[in-house]
Amino acid sequence: MFVIGVALVLIWGLIAAAAPLLATHDPYAIDFAAILKAPGAEHWFGTDNVGRDTYSRVVYGARLALYIGLLGVVAPLVIGMTIGLVAGYFGGWVDTVAMRLVDITVPFPFFVLVLSIVAVLGPGIENYFIALALVGWVGYARLARAEALVLRQSEFVLAARTMGFSHGYILLRHVLPNSLSPIVVYLMTDVTLVILFGAALGFLGMGVSPPAAEWGVMIAEGQTYISTAWWISFFPGLAMVLIGVGFALIGDGLARMLRIER
Amino acid sequence: MNTLRFIAFRLLQAIPVLLGVSIITFILMAATPGDPVRLLVGDRASPETIALVRDRYGLDDPILFQYFTYVKNLIVGDLGASLRYRVPVSQLIAQHYPVTLFLVIYTIVLTLPPVVFLAVWSAKRQNGPADQVIRMLGVLGLAVPVFWLALLFARFFGVTLGWFPVSGFGETVPDHFMHLFLPALSTAIWVVPILVRTLRSALLDEMNRDYVLTGHSKGLGERQIFRTHVFPNSVLPTLNLFAVIVAYLLGGSVIVETVYAVPGMGKLMVDSILARDYFVVQGATLVFALTTILVMLAVDLLSALIDPRVAP
Amino acid sequence: MTTDKIIPAAMALMLSATVLSAQDTIRIASPNKVTVLDPIVSAAGGNIEAYGQLYARLLLKGPDGALQPGLAESWEVSEDGLTYTFELRDAKFSDGSAITAEDAAFSLTRVSKDEKSAYPAGFAPIKEVSAVDEDTVQITLEHASAPMLSNLEIFNAGIVSKDDVDERGEEGAFASDPVTSGPYMVKEWKPNDRITLTANPHYWREGLPKIQNVELIEVSDDNARATMAMAGEIDVNRYVPWAQVEEVNNTDGVSVALEPSTMLYLVLPNHDKAPFDNLTVRKAAAMALDREAITNAVTLGKAEVANSTFSNALNFHDANLQPPAYDPAAARKLLEDEGLVGTEITMMITPTFEQLATLLKAQWDAVGFKTTVERVDAGLWWSNMAKGEYQVTVNWYYNETEDPDLAVRWALCDTCGSQSYYTNYHNEEVNKLTDEALRERDEAKRAELYSKIQQITLDELAQIPLYYAPFSIAYADRVKGLTLTPALQWTLEDAELTPE
Repeated sequence: MFVIGVALVLIWGLIAAAAPLLATHDPYAIDFAAILKAPGAEHWFGTDNVGRDTYSRVVYGARLALYIGLLGVVAPLVIGMTIGLVAGYFGGWVDTVAMRLVDITVPFPFFVLVLSIVAVLGPGIENYFIALALVGWVGYARLARAEALVLRQSEFVLAARTMGFSHGYILLRHVLPNSLSPIVVYLMTDVTLVILFGAALGFLGMGVSPPAAEWGVMIAEGQTYISTAWWISFFPGLAMVLIGVGFALIGDGLARMLRIER
Repeated sequence: MNTLRFIAFRLLQAIPVLLGVSIITFILMAATPGDPVRLLVGDRASPETIALVRDRYGLDDPILFQYFTYVKNLIVGDLGASLRYRVPVSQLIAQHYPVTLFLVIYTIVLTLPPVVFLAVWSAKRQNGPADQVIRMLGVLGLAVPVFWLALLFARFFGVTLGWFPVSGFGETVPDHFMHLFLPALSTAIWVVPILVRTLRSALLDEMNRDYVLTGHSKGLGERQIFRTHVFPNSVLPTLNLFAVIVAYLLGGSVIVETVYAVPGMGKLMVDSILARDYFVVQGATLVFALTTILVMLAVDLLSALIDPRVAP
Repeated sequence: MTTDKIIPAAMALMLSATVLSAQDTIRIASPNKVTVLDPIVSAAGGNIEAYGQLYARLLLKGPDGALQPGLAESWEVSEDGLTYTFELRDAKFSDGSAITAEDAAFSLTRVSKDEKSAYPAGFAPIKEVSAVDEDTVQITLEHASAPMLSNLEIFNAGIVSKDDVDERGEEGAFASDPVTSGPYMVKEWKPNDRITLTANPHYWREGLPKIQNVELIEVSDDNARATMAMAGEIDVNRYVPWAQVEEVNNTDGVSVALEPSTMLYLVLPNHDKAPFDNLTVRKAAAMALDREAITNAVTLGKAEVANSTFSNALNFHDANLQPPAYDPAAARKLLEDEGLVGTEITMMITPTFEQLATLLKAQWDAVGFKTTVERVDAGLWWSNMAKGEYQVTVNWYYNETEDPDLAVRWALCDTCGSQSYYTNYHNEEVNKLTDEALRERDEAKRAELYSKIQQITLDELAQIPLYYAPFSIAYADRVKGLTLTPALQWTLEDAELTPE
């Protein structure tokens, strides 16, 4: 299973990288003569409502999908781990402050925040990342904190303290590496969710500006044609499912391996 | 008594949290460009009318002043009025909130039994064919975009088969169950995999613990150990995740509410943000936040019930 | 009646009532919201559609679109066109009180003079409205206005009850259950969800409306409405996307009607900002567009390509004019001559225009523009428009009457309150002609004036007209006699539901 996951993700990575070679048409080229054509020899996945080739857009869309998924989790990961590890390790008022931060963030409806940020800052992936950074760090923080709480009692940490190493050093050198396992598992699922939420934004009309080839927007736009030109939504939808499955399987596999280790 | 004090303490702690939420929402709304008045009076309105309405609602007053007026009113229970509808925010919320609450609870009801069943079943038959299938299906359910699935369900189960209504909330309680089935199902399909994985993982962890072996050696049946120890211990982390998911369901309901034209809070929230109906957004966010806090409180109490070790 | 007869009788009554209500309620789904019930406060689409059902006007538009007596039985216009005298018929409000000249005077004064009035443009020439006696109301104008009669039929000229407003105050009277003069009154209003109307027992037209209850349901998602129509959960879908017209039409039990409207879709360049302040650039932009191909691609052949800055449903529309023809090579040459090849432009759009924006961008880029599409939501769009913070955008507008005066004031005149639909197009002569044409009562002369206005605005490319779009509305087969007029009014009072 894990292997399948890795394979899927790698294949998509390759597709994204090799998009210009794999695409059969310019993903942005409109063609009045080829509007809403069914899949066929000329257009393998058919065309959309302005005559753009679906196959090429799906291929190029892989780039955006991976970009969104992989970069979108970076900020939450970094912020969350920092806050969580520090809070769990030091405890006391640091922990209390951190937990209050969590308390304020969790009840905040995610979509409200994203919509507001997009409304304030304008549409664009970067703004979606900002919204994610502001809200998505919580999961990582909790996991990191839980790990840090346990790890600060561990033998090698206590030993390091006795030997006079600074807190900072210990955090970086000992606590962080040992807390990674559950976080990495969570990370993989998070990538899937980030990609999906990005698609949901496209559905609500808050996605990337046209004419970008983003799967979420493609699915949303294609919904009007669900019975007449099913391919517009179907292929990007399929692509999204495959990439999501890939990351999720990696997460699953990692979880299993780590459990075996323990 | 201890429990009551705990609840009181937590509720007290909720106040600064709610204040924080309201400040952040207020700042966001204030920073959002775009004029709500134009959307209210329509395309062809004269600039004079717009200026008048802005003045009436104090939209041009300094920000801090507006915020303090808002908090002042909040303390006496006045959430302000909707700019668009000229009705009290509390009325709008009272109208939409029960719908979303019903939907969320319905989703939970549809989610929990399958979660428990699937997690237990696949944990017991770890790595067996059933386990593999369940995990594969789970991963699929997780990766399909909700809005796409929701539309497909509506078209298939609602139109083609005609089994369920595809829109609205219905008049009577039995109606609600029918109208909200497809929306709840669409949501459950991606929530179930997440919870199953956590629960299954926790179960597997627990099942390998020492005390299980000890229990075996003492002659306790596997079933009994499972029921009295393994399962309760595994539930806790899942319960915590569950709380987070409920928080998400409340806000994320907007998608199914849009696809199925359900008049709930999610839709009210999004419409209000787009229409810059500030007070409604404020009020709705606070209500969401309060609900989440209460759910977390309930989860913590439930956790304490299950495992006295984590009691406050 | 003895007790054991009452109960079954009551039950029979209840049962028949429920059966009746299901049969006698029409469900209309629309993306437009009803937000306020005071007819002068808003000119937003959803409200307009509701006002027409709640408040009757002095005049009524017949099925052929001609003006007929409404609450006014007859009327007289003075020689100089400055005094209009209306004789009101015997009619009652929904609460049973009589509709008097005082109510009419009150309502019309509100719409023309009250600072809250969102759209007083059609009533600007009114000097005073007074109740001469119980059922005679007189309107005096500052200057003549050719379309005054048809302006008195539009949505915000609805007659409201002065007594009610006096009693409950403006806020209270229109909060949730106003006293109405139209075919319907409000049964229940759930803001942001739906408004349920029920027949006004005192409506002046005997025996109408035939349909007892109307539900105006707000459903913003196009697909949700389509699914609801296909599942039979609604009777009318206010807006069917072009792409779904065929499909919905072919579904059993539903058919799509393409009804004439005054909607004009157009490109709006900002005349106050480079590069569109330059006529040559505007010409290049116009010649770069294959408007026929664009129209077909977007509306799948359901709309007509626009030839003028007027909608083809407006009086005095000049069918002989043409915008610059599609000639990308010439367009490029124009840009080259100006040294503006590669000039960057940002097209601001709202989410509904993504397809159109993609097509426009492709064609503009092909002649040498460098277009970036910026998608904003409606609130921000209006904000930017009003402030003039944009270079070019696309949108549509419609007109409440077939008389072009209001349309010209809205879209082509920059001193009339809306800066030429916020394009900041400024032409002294057009402004002058607008006022002249309003006061001119001779038809032939008016035609000439409006023709001239169209000519000038087209030559100067005040806007680039794209296409005239009909309404695309889906009706369940059981609905008979219902259409949406170009003035955005449902002909609900004349419609009926045939039993299945």
